[in-house]
Amino acid sequence: MIKGFKMADLDLSSVLTDVSRAKGLPNAHYVDDAVFEREKHDVLFANWAAIGFAKDIPAAGDVAPVDFLGMPLLALRDKDNQVHVYQNTCRHRGMILVEEKKNIGAGVIRCPYHSWCYSQQGKLVTTPHVGGPGQNTHAEIKREELGLTRIRSHVWRDIIFVNISGDAPDFTEYAAGVIAAWSEFEDQELHHSGSDSGFKFDVACNWKLAVENYCESYHLPWIHPGLNSYSRLEDHYHIENPGHYSGQGTVVYSPQIADDGQRFPTFDGLGTKWDKAAEYIALYPNVLLGVHKDHAFAIILEPKAKDRTIEHVEIYYAKPEAAGADFAQMRAVNSKMWHAVFEEDLFVVEGMQKGRHGVHFDGGKFSPAMDSPTHCFHHWVASQFVDTPVAAE
Amino acid sequence: MLLNDKDLNDALLDAHARCDGAALITLYTNAARAALAQGQEGAADFFLTHAYVFALERGDDRATNLHSRLKERGREE
Repeated sequence: MIKGFKMADLDLSSVLTDVSRAKGLPNAHYVDDAVFEREKHDVLFANWAAIGFAKDIPAAGDVAPVDFLGMPLLALRDKDNQVHVYQNTCRHRGMILVEEKKNIGAGVIRCPYHSWCYSQQGKLVTTPHVGGPGQNTHAEIKREELGLTRIRSHVWRDIIFVNISGDAPDFTEYAAGVIAAWSEFEDQELHHSGSDSGFKFDVACNWKLAVENYCESYHLPWIHPGLNSYSRLEDHYHIENPGHYSGQGTVVYSPQIADDGQRFPTFDGLGTKWDKAAEYIALYPNVLLGVHKDHAFAIILEPKAKDRTIEHVEIYYAKPEAAGADFAQMRAVNSKMWHAVFEEDLFVVEGMQKGRHGVHFDGGKFSPAMDSPTHCFHHWVASQFVDTPVAAE
Repeated sequence: MLLNDKDLNDALLDAHARCDGAALITLYTNAARAALAQGQEGAADFFLTHAYVFALERGDDRATNLHSRLKERGREE
């Protein structure tokens, strides 16, 4: 039974079946404000969604407000290098605490309204004049009960994940599959070089379409013809972990080599698989990841509306020297290459968004051979809308 | 609770306008001292509270002493 919806209004049974028989998610999941709002809670707030990159709050005392689907959040790095995420709302009158990114050093977060102050660990430190002028205590103001509302958070691969509902499994359990699949990359430092390794796209599509396109290799020869010369369709394989993530891999990854023979340094201790392999995984709901032996990237999909998504792309390297001046030219080439690839996808996801207004579109017929990673995602999304968990097929 | 010292009042307003937290700590502490000298205990607590808040906001070491003073006066936990 669909939560809050009548089955007749939003029947997902056609999605929650085997890919050979399944249809895609109905149009309403792309064009309907009510479904978008429902999806916000049941899909994005109920799971571990990404809200930003830890590199963007690099120093102790850095605080940054984050508007995640209207939910005001505050990301903070404390003096012990721990990243915290709080609801960016004062416990007194509900005032927004931090309006713009700044560094508060070793100081507290002071509400700009009545100056209630919170430590960086979220504790309510003082409540000025709360008992009258110059009296900062009151019997009914129990500070231990009025700390900042902590949002469950976890930083993995420099991505800040949050579980706003507070009841998802621990992140390490939630993402155990991809952590295990990429265990050779786990605990290896990622090095970011700054603005030359990041870019974003403001895309007129529902966030799910970016996931769906990313998951499958079927489109590569048509949308990315430049790949055909060295990375053919048959060189790719599906990656599917139903209920968790899906994507694609290639067995012919060819690292960039500069004219003078310079190459990016590689991650330590990788198996021979990674000599030629690269993998591209969508960790549900809103993170797209790529790993190669010499660099990695992450794309956070920021849903802004049912038909608008901002794609935040950041590229990371295996060794600190690769993020330094000696590799600036190679990084520029790499960033330009990925920018071009992702840009090629934009007309597709925007076109699918437009296509979802076709009132006779029935969700679409999957290719059982080529589209199963995308159906894997659809099945997961649909399963979030039902009261009883649906076993992934 | 009125601040009688015009120069101090002007300095406080200027520091607020400049968001100069370090100056605000000093000036509110001075205001508290002036209030105590005039026997205005309530005003002193008011000004000490402000000095304390701005010290907390900056992570200024003076916060410890200001907290102690307020706590001794029964104004802070």
